[in-house]
Amino acid sequence: MGTDRYAYLSRLRRVDPVAKVWTALAVLLLCLFSESIAVGLVTLVVMGVLNMALGGQRPGTVLHFMKVPLAFLVIGCLTIVLRPLGAEEPALWAVWLFGRFRWGISGAYLRMGLMVFCKAMGAISAMYFLALNTPMTDLVLALERLHVPKLLVELMELIYRFIFVLMDAAGRIRVAQESRLGYGSFRKSLDHMGDLVSLVFLRAWRKGDKVYTALESRGYDGSLTTLSAAYTGGARVYAWGAAAIALQAAALLVERRLLT
Amino acid sequence: MKQNRHNHVRLPAAILAVLGLSTVSASAMHIAEGYLPKVWAFGWMAVCIPFVAAGFLSIRKKVERSPKAKVLLAMCGAFAFVLSALKLPSISGSCSHPTGVGLGAILFGPTATTVLGLIVLLFQALLLAHGGLTTLGANLFSMAIVGPLVSWGVYRGLKKAGAKPAVAVFCAAALGDLLTYVTTSFQLGVVYGNITEYLTIFAVTQIPLAIAEGLLTVVVFNVLEKYSAAELRELSVL
Repeated sequence: MGTDRYAYLSRLRRVDPVAKVWTALAVLLLCLFSESIAVGLVTLVVMGVLNMALGGQRPGTVLHFMKVPLAFLVIGCLTIVLRPLGAEEPALWAVWLFGRFRWGISGAYLRMGLMVFCKAMGAISAMYFLALNTPMTDLVLALERLHVPKLLVELMELIYRFIFVLMDAAGRIRVAQESRLGYGSFRKSLDHMGDLVSLVFLRAWRKGDKVYTALESRGYDGSLTTLSAAYTGGARVYAWGAAAIALQAAALLVERRLLT
Repeated sequence: MKQNRHNHVRLPAAILAVLGLSTVSASAMHIAEGYLPKVWAFGWMAVCIPFVAAGFLSIRKKVERSPKAKVLLAMCGAFAFVLSALKLPSISGSCSHPTGVGLGAILFGPTATTVLGLIVLLFQALLLAHGGLTTLGANLFSMAIVGPLVSWGVYRGLKKAGAKPAVAVFCAAALGDLLTYVTTSFQLGVVYGNITEYLTIFAVTQIPLAIAEGLLTVVVFNVLEKYSAAELRELSVL
């Protein structure tokens, strides 16, 4: 599901997940903190390229996932750029609505909108470096090594596993309903959707019961202990991360120089 | 004549655009990675910490009392994730995703919902790119703290006031949903100083969705009451 399918195929899959977490977070935070168009674009390109070159992801995959948050960002940035203006405010383009409100685009806000858009795209690209190269199970075990409370980590492991079980159940119920002419009208879809949701809840509850029984009959004492896989060292990922950060810093300096 | 023909095209186009917005807004309810400036991103995280800590402690107490609670809570978390991935029938014919905020809060209580919400939002950010790591705090606050608290409060209040269960569930789910969006609009608007713009966008697209989700939650609750009174009693909902 989602990025996970590709993470299992990634060439970086066996690399220490902690290295991937720190690298992605450092690049992401630098992109967020610098608040500049150039750094955003550099991060977008560099992390996209690293995803393909180091992780071996296909360009189509990376592009496909970059498109997901685009709808939110376009609407979000349009509302920053296009806004009500004062009657005397200088604007690149403005229009009077109903003869009373003046809406338009001003230079400062246009730049701000562009900056937010580029910054967000860069940050998303950095996040995908983590998501597309680290299967969730490895990531959760890495969180335990980073001293996230044990109870939270166990809940995450269990939830992750159960998501697939319940998705499967929901998908089957949906197919069964649709093959019996379900979801015909709005009224009917509400009823059928209600059936589906409550049935999935019931299944989840009973499945939970069964899982607990199965665990207890195998000596469950309140915690699930698993061994993490053998990882190769993360030195290479750290090195590439440092290179990405250097490029970001260079972009920031060049932009500052050009603007002043 | 020519003018007329243009109008024929323009009106459906405008309607389609508005309907298009309402489908888009389903993924728009999660604030995307990197959209918030650093101060706000970390500020919202700080605001969430006490709520998450309280939720964590209450869950730990439950788990210590009965180890089975851990497995059941995990099932509930997975249920919340799956719920948010389902397509909700909507009046406009297009589809959107239910938030499950109201249902979760009524079933599991607001404190457990906060912790489960944290995990679910993290999975959504990494697996589906809905939301993000730095905006986790803001998303958590609107979807796993404000929404559930409102839903739970409304449900408890109306039940105590002697309202019909269906009315209480409908109001809890619809209001929880709406307040979640109002919080998101506020979080987005306060940064760039255009709260009213976001509120109008969300008002147009979210009020029908909130009503649909309220109705859906009533249907779900009726079925659950009929077939799984024992489970609900274990959750101490009834």
